[in-house]
Amino acid sequence: MDLGAAIAANPQSFENARYNEGFELSRAVRQDAQLAALQMRFNNLKERLPALAKVASEQGVSSIDSLDDAVPLLFPHTVYKSYPLSFLEQGRFDRLTKWLGSLTTVDVSKVDLSAIDTIDGWIGALEKTGLAPIHTFGTSGKLSIIPRTKVQLRVTVQINARCIRDFHGVGSGPDLLTQPMPLIAPSYRYGASSIARGMNLMADLYGKGEALFLYPDAYFSADVASLAGRLRAAEARGEAGQLELPASLIARRAEFAAREAQRGQDMDRFFDEATQRYAGRDVFLFAVWPILFEWAEEGLKRGIKNVFGPNSVLTTGGGSKGRVLPADYKHQIFEFLGFERHMEFFGMSELMANAPRCEHNCFHFPPVVIPFVLDPETGQSLPREGKQTGRLALMDLLPDSYWGGFVTGDRVTMGGFDAPCECGRTGPYLEADIQRFSDLKNGDDKINCAGAPEAHDRAVEFLLDRTS
Amino acid sequence: MSFSVPLLFRGAIIESDAIEYGGRRGGARFTAPDLSKHLDRLVLQRPSALAELYDMPFGEIVDFLHQLGQRLDPAKNTALQEAFELSRATSGLSDSILRYHYNMIPSYFLPEAVRAIAERTIGLDYLEGWVEQPPMGAGSVRIRAIGARAVHIIAGNVPVVGVTTVIRNAITRSDAIIKTPSNDPLTTAAVVRTMIDMAQDHPITKHVSVAYWKGGDQAIEQHLYDPRRIEKIIAWGGFAGIKHLTQYLQPGLDLITLDPKHSGSLIGREAFADERTLQAVARRLAVDIGAMNQEGCVNARVVHVESGSDAEGIKRAERLGQLTFEALKALPDHLSTPHKAFDGELKAELDALSFVDDEYTVFGGKGNEGAIIVSRSEQPVDFARMLACRVANIVPVDDLETAIRSVNSYTQTIGIFPDSLKAKLRDRLAYQGAQRLVSLGGAATLMQAPGPQDGIEPLRRMVKWIVDENGDGDMLEAQAIVKSAE
Repeated sequence: MDLGAAIAANPQSFENARYNEGFELSRAVRQDAQLAALQMRFNNLKERLPALAKVASEQGVSSIDSLDDAVPLLFPHTVYKSYPLSFLEQGRFDRLTKWLGSLTTVDVSKVDLSAIDTIDGWIGALEKTGLAPIHTFGTSGKLSIIPRTKVQLRVTVQINARCIRDFHGVGSGPDLLTQPMPLIAPSYRYGASSIARGMNLMADLYGKGEALFLYPDAYFSADVASLAGRLRAAEARGEAGQLELPASLIARRAEFAAREAQRGQDMDRFFDEATQRYAGRDVFLFAVWPILFEWAEEGLKRGIKNVFGPNSVLTTGGGSKGRVLPADYKHQIFEFLGFERHMEFFGMSELMANAPRCEHNCFHFPPVVIPFVLDPETGQSLPREGKQTGRLALMDLLPDSYWGGFVTGDRVTMGGFDAPCECGRTGPYLEADIQRFSDLKNGDDKINCAGAPEAHDRAVEFLLDRTS
Repeated sequence: MSFSVPLLFRGAIIESDAIEYGGRRGGARFTAPDLSKHLDRLVLQRPSALAELYDMPFGEIVDFLHQLGQRLDPAKNTALQEAFELSRATSGLSDSILRYHYNMIPSYFLPEAVRAIAERTIGLDYLEGWVEQPPMGAGSVRIRAIGARAVHIIAGNVPVVGVTTVIRNAITRSDAIIKTPSNDPLTTAAVVRTMIDMAQDHPITKHVSVAYWKGGDQAIEQHLYDPRRIEKIIAWGGFAGIKHLTQYLQPGLDLITLDPKHSGSLIGREAFADERTLQAVARRLAVDIGAMNQEGCVNARVVHVESGSDAEGIKRAERLGQLTFEALKALPDHLSTPHKAFDGELKAELDALSFVDDEYTVFGGKGNEGAIIVSRSEQPVDFARMLACRVANIVPVDDLETAIRSVNSYTQTIGIFPDSLKAKLRDRLAYQGAQRLVSLGGAATLMQAPGPQDGIEPLRRMVKWIVDENGDGDMLEAQAIVKSAE
């Protein structure tokens, strides 16, 4: 079966495809495949997913005849955090479960919630249904919770391996599924964030269990992430002092305090182990540029360079996070690492297949994702031609148990509808300049007397302060 | 379309060395002169120059402002017309509301209005001379309110802020450098430009400057915010901006903040006495929510209603929500219209409510018409602090205790129904931090007293209070002499 027909029949079959073929499809083949897959997802989900049924009925959509017909059905990006925060504050996990149940076809109604008093515990209970719920970091004040399944998680990690192998041409990179490499990541071994779940599975699938984490035994807690978000919200209301700390978190105070105190040492140990235990070996490294630069700077100072094997893979990204990196920072990093192969992605927790960055700095969506650009004022789809700037919306065709369509908070410029990128790949791509609409609104020296102060703090510090 | 924002200082108009700035929302851009080239001349180097403001009696200030006001007719004044055009693109107010506020500008300059501010905030006698204090002990004391050199960082959500600043500066015989915001860079400049055209060399003209620079520009702010050059900073709005300012504070520099606020409403059970009362309450609430398109800090956002939180209570709250939404849509268009630049992030939050429809009932919110969200529990929506663009949240409660406790120093105005409830709660609300209590419906429209704002008296803080004390010479000398033992 050719790729177009395969995607039309089952988008998840893309996990076995030659990844780069996704960017060789003609416009007609790509769109026909996407429309067929979209119709299939809609027809299969509209009866079984109460949230989708409701939107479809409100919008008067009963069938899909073109890609743009999906636009009225796209969920707001806030949907996965539409539960009231009071559910968490009051420990109403029954209502939280009912809410999540309206967003997935997985039956969560029989989950035993009798002993559940934390989000971590709740997520654990849901895992017994085959779900592998993903939570975000709550930077906006609230965690989003996406009802991904364990099977879907595996599809994501498989596709990522295909991407590394084939993005620059079939077999141009190592096949991590057949040639395992140790995984190195300055993060948590366990957790339910998108990154933690991805890393955890990659350690199994790419590293065959061989992995080096900054916190090899620790679980990245959704409760802590949620507290951080609630703290920000409370501070904004001037009520941080009244915030009730969950007893379950207070009980873990010693653990957090120890980790805080150990942070510097842990990083040193991690760095030493990475550069000694894995010296000369091909590795799969996952870290953002600023951390890599810190290592490179430190390493090169000590005369350490060409640490890893030449066939290694780096997955990276992230801005400079307030730190000004020198112009040649990548050069220094590669000199230290001993290899240059790296992948950067545009992605988000809500999306199963990310968009890799090409040689011309554009992010290419694989054909299992239909991207839209919407008019920021009207929410209508802009024509699928030329280059368009507006609000990004995505229809992820991979999930089969929840609706993959949503409108993002990002302002983007998209091309590739009708002409390939300079790199030669076909299909829609994003230009590198991507901004959050919320930053655009607040960032330009407007002063209003209306509004409450924003403030930031670190949840663990707060917790340590409050309970000392 | 591109606009030019002049630099106005001490009677001079500078338009050269323009730098481009963007008002992103409406796509309007404007240019303003590079202030760093004029910094030295912007500040009043010699404080003694304030003396020229004291060569004229207060009556002359009143006359000057009156004449200025007569020239600020938006139908004739081209500078104001240009400011109006730019505001159409940068402001959150619709044309009809903006026009209403522009048409109001001359009324602020009327002699009776100016005198009322002087008399009711500082006192004319303290502005005009040294005021003898009631005798206490042997000596005597006189006090006078003297103007100061100040930078005013003003808000741009409503045009009156800049207008008021010009008037306050004249009344207090101070020297003002007014930093305008990007959401209204031109209205204040238009007023002062008209002043320059009218009387370029008048002392009042020579002690007011209007400049735009991008807030946070270190090169400019480090120079300006220095006690050798100014004595006061009066800063409106913008938590980040005020936080940023604090790094320049040091002894000798007084920061007066009119910081960002939220306002709300408390509605007692009396509202549900009968349908006619409820209708009236809904109309009054709609005014508190919708006036100035909810762009002001005085506008109601979260509304606690003593309807009860059981099924019957929620039904009552929903009825109020429905009536309020209808009243909101029917508001006259000089007061309120659908918002021309509805906040996309707020829209996403509103849209998401339909995924928890057993928790909230939403009236409106389909497009830009505004919305009333009725909580079906005693909890406000999680995005309460984002409420804007004529979107408010009615929260049904069994009693108002929680609502009272949620009042804090970020709470500015509370609209209350009925007045008897206001009288009953006013002390407690004041202890909590509330700053203005008003009959429901008057939050954005009453403002009848020139006086306290955000819990302080800004005019009394804009001036310096100087004390002149006399003592008996012999008594003062005697302090130096050791009393010999008899």
